[in-house]
Amino acid sequence: MKKSGAVAVRWRDMPDSTIRAIGLALTVCGFGGILWVYSRQPQTFAEATGALSATVGAYRVDEQAFADGFKFFHRDQFAAARLAFDRADPAHQEPRTQFYIAYSYYREGWGRMYVDRDLFARGLDAVNRAIAAAPRGRIVVDDANLQMRSGDELKAELEAGMQAGTEVNPLTIVRRQRK
Amino acid sequence: MIRALEVFYVPLLFLTVTLVGGLRVADRVVFVRPPLSALVLAVLLLAALVRCGAVAPQRLMNSGRSTLQNLSGATVLMTMFAASVQAFNSVIPESGLPRLGVIVFLFVLLLNTIAASNDRRHVLRSTAVILGSSFVLKFIVLASLSDPAGGWLQRVLLATLEGVTLGTLTQQPVAPITGYVSFFALALFLGGLALLPRRYDGDEQALVTARQFRGSAK
Repeated sequence: MKKSGAVAVRWRDMPDSTIRAIGLALTVCGFGGILWVYSRQPQTFAEATGALSATVGAYRVDEQAFADGFKFFHRDQFAAARLAFDRADPAHQEPRTQFYIAYSYYREGWGRMYVDRDLFARGLDAVNRAIAAAPRGRIVVDDANLQMRSGDELKAELEAGMQAGTEVNPLTIVRRQRK
Repeated sequence: MIRALEVFYVPLLFLTVTLVGGLRVADRVVFVRPPLSALVLAVLLLAALVRCGAVAPQRLMNSGRSTLQNLSGATVLMTMFAASVQAFNSVIPESGLPRLGVIVFLFVLLLNTIAASNDRRHVLRSTAVILGSSFVLKFIVLASLSDPAGGWLQRVLLATLEGVTLGTLTQQPVAPITGYVSFFALALFLGGLALLPRRYDGDEQALVTARQFRGSAK
């Protein structure tokens, strides 16, 4: 009791200018935070904290989880790969991981006579996140097993798939999947 | 105005409204940026509040205050404006005919409030009614019409007016939590407006002047 009273007295005794400066700083920070939230649109608390730490350059992916995802991806176990990639990059801030997530949606959604537009749409979201997070929007991965190694190629392929018809089309049988 | 209110509580309250006013929860969480019309409506509301004396900017910013005091006064006014914008953003429907209708409705009501009311209590009550009725329209009436499962109002309308189409009225459905958050934001906003320093009436002004005179005589 005594202690909180002492704190209250100290607070009241602080100079007016100090209290007002603290209030101003808090308000400016709060307003900045609101602007940030409205521009970045985080979906979860993990995304919000991850994006904040990425802003100050402190965000790190879980390399072990990324390695697991990478292994699953090259075994064509795309759902498992995405789970691991999500664990590696919960805030969706790391361009390379988002690129692989987008690629997994592309590979899983591609069919010889049709494309799964829902999976392609999710892939497009992921590649857009990768491009947004990459320096100057340029994402290139060094993976000899991939036919598309840049975010631009993958995005163009996904967009082309989205524009294709939803119905089964035998004419598309000549298309090739880019592995 | 009490210093703690001016420096901490009122800006914090208005910032909370600013943050949650644009929140929409559906299959994903979206923070909707305010439309231009919300800014225009907020300017009108500010004009109505200043005109009736519900807000006295001269008590927050004047030549008798220090620079920091004026800055924190300006902060109160700016956060209040931002909160007004978001309060309107929260009650304006998202699309279609209802959006246009509500914007026009709010615009006319606010102009009417500016023209007709000089009394603080009356304007605050009018603001509560304006925002409350828009809230009911958006989160109860239109939400029921747009309910994919067929809300009670939708069933009543469809039964009464056979062959009616609701295409221009229906909105993108949102989770019920959006309505609760919006209600909370509006309640906070109205509470914040009531806390703002009002213009002194004649007797109060005389008292303040006398107190200042006594202070300077000492």
